[in-house]
Amino acid sequence: MRPIKAEELLELMTKEFGDRITDSKITKRVEGKQKRENLHLSVTVDRESFKDVVRWLADVQYPLLSVISGWDAGDRVELLYEFQLNGGVLGKGLALTLRVGLPKDSLKIETICDIIPGAQIGEREKQEMLGVRVEGTPDPRRFFLPDDFPEGVYPWRKDESGVPESMIKKLWEAK
Amino acid sequence: MGLDFFLFSILFVFLTMGLGLVVALFIRGIDRKLTAHMQARIGPPLRQPFLDIGKLFGKDTIIPENSIPWLYNLAPIACFASAATLLFYIPLGSLDSVLAGRGDLVLLTYLLLLPSLALTLGGFASGSPYATVGAQREMVTMVSYEFPIIIGVVALAWQMTMLFPFDPNLYAFSLSAFSAHLVWAEVGLFGWVGLALILFVFLLVTTGELAKVPFDVGEAETEIAGGLLAEYSGRNLALFYLGDCIKAVAMGGIIVAIFFPFNLSPLLSISGLQANAVDLLFFFVKIIIVLFFSLMLIRVGVARLKINQVVDVQWFTFSLICIVGLLLVWVDPWLSPVLGILGG
Amino acid sequence: MAEKSCTYSLPIGPIHPALHEPFLFQFQIDGERIKKVDLIGGKVHRGIEWMGMRRNPIQVIYVAERICGICSCSHAFTYCRAVEDAADIDVPERAQYIRAIIAELERMHSHLLWAGVAAHEIGFDSLLYYTWRAREGVMDLLELISGNRVNYGMLMIGGVRRDLSDETLSKIKDAMDRFDPVADKLIYLFLEDKTVKLRTQDVGILSFNDAIKLCALGPTARASGVRKDVRQDQPYCAYADLEIRAITPENFDKETVGDVYDKTLVRLLEVKQSIGIIKQCVDSLPSGDLLAEPKLVKILATLKKVNNEGLGRVEAPRGELVHWVRLQESTNLRAWKARSPTYNNVLPWQPMLIGEQIADIPIVAASTDPCFSCLDRAVVTKNGKSEIITGEELHRLSLEKTRRLKKWG
Repeated sequence: MRPIKAEELLELMTKEFGDRITDSKITKRVEGKQKRENLHLSVTVDRESFKDVVRWLADVQYPLLSVISGWDAGDRVELLYEFQLNGGVLGKGLALTLRVGLPKDSLKIETICDIIPGAQIGEREKQEMLGVRVEGTPDPRRFFLPDDFPEGVYPWRKDESGVPESMIKKLWEAK
Repeated sequence: MGLDFFLFSILFVFLTMGLGLVVALFIRGIDRKLTAHMQARIGPPLRQPFLDIGKLFGKDTIIPENSIPWLYNLAPIACFASAATLLFYIPLGSLDSVLAGRGDLVLLTYLLLLPSLALTLGGFASGSPYATVGAQREMVTMVSYEFPIIIGVVALAWQMTMLFPFDPNLYAFSLSAFSAHLVWAEVGLFGWVGLALILFVFLLVTTGELAKVPFDVGEAETEIAGGLLAEYSGRNLALFYLGDCIKAVAMGGIIVAIFFPFNLSPLLSISGLQANAVDLLFFFVKIIIVLFFSLMLIRVGVARLKINQVVDVQWFTFSLICIVGLLLVWVDPWLSPVLGILGG
Repeated sequence: MAEKSCTYSLPIGPIHPALHEPFLFQFQIDGERIKKVDLIGGKVHRGIEWMGMRRNPIQVIYVAERICGICSCSHAFTYCRAVEDAADIDVPERAQYIRAIIAELERMHSHLLWAGVAAHEIGFDSLLYYTWRAREGVMDLLELISGNRVNYGMLMIGGVRRDLSDETLSKIKDAMDRFDPVADKLIYLFLEDKTVKLRTQDVGILSFNDAIKLCALGPTARASGVRKDVRQDQPYCAYADLEIRAITPENFDKETVGDVYDKTLVRLLEVKQSIGIIKQCVDSLPSGDLLAEPKLVKILATLKKVNNEGLGRVEAPRGELVHWVRLQESTNLRAWKARSPTYNNVLPWQPMLIGEQIADIPIVAASTDPCFSCLDRAVVTKNGKSEIITGEELHRLSLEKTRRLKKWG
């Protein structure tokens, strides 16, 4: 396997998808006495092209999906698919973030479980924690929240569908 | 038989039972302590099994909702009773057993099976999936360890009949025959090797018989949460525990009675009650030594096997060793003299 | 003859002696063979991320430490790296080395803990005690360094909180020299013992392809031949100077199978590797500051102005650990996602468990070294209905019981 460089990957990606990639950034962090550099490529794509990008990426080099993070950014929910590339090559590892913004009035995204089966738990978590509907995910049940947790309450949301004050158990006040 | 004999027997039964229980629990204490030391632990005090039993009898006995209550409650009693019966057939040192002459090795092998059978019934009656899996496993194990034991017993009895074909008082399967004639002394080299093989298998099968590592598949705490015993508590569990302790002593006692029926009293040239007491004590020491090699040493040195591996080991390997032992015992009367002539 | 098949269901968990934390495996079993398995998590979700989103960045370090009792340092470490990434804080070299030493000690004790548990799962209790006695030595060392056995409280944003004195360093070195033969002995015991081999070889196999597709991490993936290790791929802190290589069964001149035996092998070899790393770190420990900014108030003030997100990655004992934070010009964290390695190692259980026997469940389940969470509620099932006892209720019930017992006494 040939390790792929951050600039190279970004170039390939822009060539393939053009202006469907709305934003991109390469950040560097230095480590150790030798000040070795670690690179992090962050790319923003729109929802419609997101799955194409993942499929394209899996063809270029099958990535390790570290985690799907997400947060409530006010008017939209942002999902961040954190990938790892060049695994197994000393010091050549590359972190890649695919960022997708979803407007609050249509919180849905396509599943990537058919490309990367390991995304299943992450997708289930996003459904229960952020209220994002992942279309076509193979097992849409809850994973982390208990069965009796109310519908329509999403713990990570900062708006009215977040955890209401009435649900917070104040154990420190218990007698 | 007069009334006084009857009364004497009753008294003797209670004495044997009481002594058997105390010794069984004490030996379990020694077992736990020695095992702990081998595992670099301190271990519980020697009286711990007594405390455990006391505590268990004081606890609530919970009967699961989907169990069959009468069978569920009967099983521990059956287990304890059949284990206790074993005690009455084993000669205690120089004392004859209570029921000497009324049962033989064949009966003993069946009696040894009964506690496990009771456990299995109890397991099936508990209505828990863990207990059911445990009971299934226990049945398979029972079938697999019974075969080598029976072969061994047959080999021993065969040898007795071959050595003393004209002794009218000798009943080949009885335990008293073995305490009357020291098996090792009477055979030649081939028979000696054959007997050693059978002893070896008996020592190993004890672990299976008592469901201890590596053959504790029926209970397997980390796999099926105690299996057969998963649902048992309080008095019922205490009875199973007692049955298990007694079975260990009985199994050790049988091996001692067959293979090591030596007594100390002739050496010390004492007689009477004193001699009986010394021999009894020596008998228990021998049991502890036998159990040390068959139970404790094996238990600390290996991992638990899977059910198919248990069957492989017991059904094939142990049976094969026993059959080889049987053959050696069989050829001994002809071959050993030949060897003697050649050597001489 | 048509093959007769009658399956029955067997639940393992949420409470089971083989599982040390609550998780539910719902098995469909035919005889002793596993036909199907459903993995059900979230039995006791604690909502730690939710709690973190209501606290300031320094408070969250201590919350992060309490995500897991075994890799407590790894969580704090990763979280600090995420915040440092967001706020662009550079950590002093000495702190980077101390972090590596703690992380490696933690790896050693975690792997030894795992090895002991694995021995217990297959019923080999003597090996459990032997392994845990060795682990106790590492715990003592951690106590010597940090004053704590479990939550070390060593990490701070921008560095570490405690220094290693020359005396401590020489003690660490001595301990590592003593530990080398112990590790060799353990490797011998686990890899050569006949009964251990019977139970671990060709059991719970995870193929290379499954490991890649299901995003398996850490020793679980490496035992299947996936050469992934954050310390190698994107070397961080002191590892950047050390050129660490991922350990796979090939390092032991063994063909990669991906069974439980290989997973044991990888973990035990990593213990050896950790000993080497600690020795190297102690030898080349640079001098200098411990913290980029020693005043906590100042750190908080800086972080309050940050509007950025950060990603921290660390190779925890169980695999790659990821924390992602979002700071948005406020006292508290705006968002926090902690992804522990078990999160990714749950799915590989399916291919590993199907087709195995009931007896293999504990050791296969344990082979990924799962780490869930702690209990905050209890479920009581009575007459087919289930009631939930909340924390307050449990508190009240225990008070009642204590009073009742006191009356008798």
